[in-house]
Amino acid sequence: MADELKEELLEEDASKGKFMTFQTGREYFGISISYVSEIIQMQPITAIPEAEDYIKGLINLRGKIIPVIDVRVRFKMEPVEYTDRTCIIVIDVKSTVIGLIVEKIAEVDDILDEDVVPPPTLGGHKDNEKSKYVYGLARTGDTMKLLLDPEKLIKQEDLNILEEIQEEEQS
Amino acid sequence: MAEEFNTDSMLSMFLYESNQGLEKLEGIILEKQDADCFDDSDINEIFRIMHTIKGSSAVLMYENIKTASHKLEDVFYYLRESHPENVPHRELVEKVLAVSDFITGELEKIKAGSDPDGDEKELVADLEEFLGELKGEIKKQGIRLPKANKQEEPTQFYITPVAEEDSHFYRIVIHYKSDTQMSNIRAYSATYALKEVAEDLLYTPEDILSNEGSHDNILAEGFHMLLQTKASKEEVLELIDSSEAESIDFNEINSTEYGKALTEFGREAPPIVINLDEDKSAAKDDKQQAPIAPGDYVVKSKETGKGKTLAKNQAKQQAIISVNVEKMDALMDMIGELVIAEATVLQNPDLKVPGLDLTNFQKAAAQLAKNTTELQDVIMSMRMMPLTSVFQKMRRIVFDVSRKLGKDIEFEVIGENTEVDKNIIEHISDPLMHLVRNSVDHGIEDDPEVRMANGKSPKGKITLEAKNEGGKVYISVKDDGKGLNKEKLYNKAMENGLIGDKAMSEFTDKDIFKFITLPGFSTKEVVTEYSGRGVGMDVVVKNIQSIGGRLDIDSVEGQGSEMTLVIPLTLAIISGIVIQVGEAPFVIEMASIKEFISVGEDALIQEPGGEEYLVLRGDCFPFIRLGEKYDLPGAKSKLEDGIVAVVEHEGKQICILIDKILQEQEIVVKPIPSYVKKVKGLSGCTQLGDGSIALILDVGGLMIEEERR
Repeated sequence: MADELKEELLEEDASKGKFMTFQTGREYFGISISYVSEIIQMQPITAIPEAEDYIKGLINLRGKIIPVIDVRVRFKMEPVEYTDRTCIIVIDVKSTVIGLIVEKIAEVDDILDEDVVPPPTLGGHKDNEKSKYVYGLARTGDTMKLLLDPEKLIKQEDLNILEEIQEEEQS
Repeated sequence: MAEEFNTDSMLSMFLYESNQGLEKLEGIILEKQDADCFDDSDINEIFRIMHTIKGSSAVLMYENIKTASHKLEDVFYYLRESHPENVPHRELVEKVLAVSDFITGELEKIKAGSDPDGDEKELVADLEEFLGELKGEIKKQGIRLPKANKQEEPTQFYITPVAEEDSHFYRIVIHYKSDTQMSNIRAYSATYALKEVAEDLLYTPEDILSNEGSHDNILAEGFHMLLQTKASKEEVLELIDSSEAESIDFNEINSTEYGKALTEFGREAPPIVINLDEDKSAAKDDKQQAPIAPGDYVVKSKETGKGKTLAKNQAKQQAIISVNVEKMDALMDMIGELVIAEATVLQNPDLKVPGLDLTNFQKAAAQLAKNTTELQDVIMSMRMMPLTSVFQKMRRIVFDVSRKLGKDIEFEVIGENTEVDKNIIEHISDPLMHLVRNSVDHGIEDDPEVRMANGKSPKGKITLEAKNEGGKVYISVKDDGKGLNKEKLYNKAMENGLIGDKAMSEFTDKDIFKFITLPGFSTKEVVTEYSGRGVGMDVVVKNIQSIGGRLDIDSVEGQGSEMTLVIPLTLAIISGIVIQVGEAPFVIEMASIKEFISVGEDALIQEPGGEEYLVLRGDCFPFIRLGEKYDLPGAKSKLEDGIVAVVEHEGKQICILIDKILQEQEIVVKPIPSYVKKVKGLSGCTQLGDGSIALILDVGGLMIEEERR
């Protein structure tokens, strides 16, 4: 019991401050590694009709069916062709398992809390799709990394949609 | 006491066995509730069940269960031995149910980890009185009373040897079947039973209770006993529970040998071998004998020789084992992975090198594919269970409630063998109970005269029916009672402020019936013990919705109501046809497919508004181009190139244009992850044999969509 607890703590320590970074377009993004359960190669995707454009469809993750979303489309960027380097980052956010299609995995970076600055907010940024999901910026090496809040990335308006559906069902 | 030894495995075994027994018991009782009396086989069965429960509860020191079951056993022992006439059957039925309820309640307590502290005294006194009445009747008729089925306190286990002249000495070796569970406990019950007649009893291994390891020992070596008793060989054999025994070596020895054997516990003598037989009639004839233990037998062979070698007639193996559902789920996932792994191997690009001779590989691959498919079929079928046990519970509820309310009700069950996924069974039991109770309480009229006045039989009728249709399970509770009064429902809903101030005409009949599922709604003026508090129907609906089902209510005032639970195909395995539209595979439930047909463009009628219809053999059907509807790239748009699937749902038919039929497959339905917004016309998704995902078409949903346009 005590050992398990200890291990858990250690694990948390190990993943603390570590970020999985990936490249999309010219920008680098980072996701706290504690959300990432695995990285898999691009897989055949079964498209879902009538779904939002950024939801690419469903994949079969060893018997588990999970939805995948295209991060580029999610940020309202022009979609690009998938290549050999295209990967799916499987993240687990509060028991919702979702795959993120990203152009290229960069590396795992150590980012300290004190290196993270909140994104500058200017009036015009309100509509910027990216900034909705970015909670901080961090400079490592030569590049600036946009740190994503996965909870916002997968939820936000989707939650509203869920609620809408429920309301619809009730009425 | 009970805590002295490790009781975990014993306990779960005890709970399992007792529950099984009680379930069976209730089944018998309820089946025969309206008969005049129990027949011999029923009495034997009930006696046997009670005997087993008595024995095992005594071992585990549950005194109250033991006493109660023992008393009931006494009653049935008496019934079996004396065949009294004029047994008050109804009363007997109630007594048995009372005991069964008591034990069930105590078992629940044990399961919950607390001590079974229910007071059995009243129950026992009641049974005592009942038995007394029965006997009194017999005495008047001058029939000899059988010896009472006596039992002594089980807590002490030391028997003082008192050698008497007419004592017999036996050496007994019981060999249990190799798959017997907890043979040490069985051995203990044997010694426990023998104690009633024993003057002296020695056995080895000695630590059968305190040492669980003795189980293996007994299985390997057999259970050895030395017995000094006045009882005859037959009597002794009767006492030993031989239901799990493979063979019993039985030797009578003289007192000198016995004395020797006491010191050296292992000398061989030519034993008499008794093989066990399932034939139950044999033992029934031996009326003159004292208590009969469960598991009858006949003496089959008297030759000398080793018991083990002669025991050919193996009793049936246990037919059912209970498995944790989580393990089943894990197994299912594993098999899913296996199928994917198989596909990766068999379709490996490395195999596509030109000039490879793959004859042997292909043969092996075909075999592998066959085996994995079968494996998949088996695991899927393993999760399915018949509704029998749930329906039996309902039988009990109708019996109880109708008795209490003084209503005469006939209860009919149809389709109890319908198989449903285990997870679903667990969820429908409570909602179904509510519905059945409601039908008895609210549905059927209180006064038979009112029924007669309406031209109905004075006896109310409730029908519980289950059927599997179109991949959904329909469970309906139908009564021929007074039905629902729309006006009353409407007024009540108004009063309770549940519907605002809409006029009655704004609601359809179904809408009005649905009022009863609103929280805080009850039309019953008087709250009874069973229903009327207005909680219930909303809980029913909530429970059913939680597994994705729905409740349909239909009623005709004066003629009765029908409540139907429609359980979705989630979790259930359905047989489907995999089709392809564009590049995407879809699955249509087999049950909803009427036919596939190839037609030309001339069968199509186009409305000015763009709506299309297909004329088949003179009938006109709505027509959906699936590729267009879901915007699937590459889908065929000409009728000649594709195939038209004619599908049916609740009596209506529509035609769907698809590209081609791929295969037929048994599929496990998985929900589309909730993250993805619900798509109308799709009910779930499934994994195909090659690991890819296909979406399942919801024909009903498609029709609703079509109607809305």
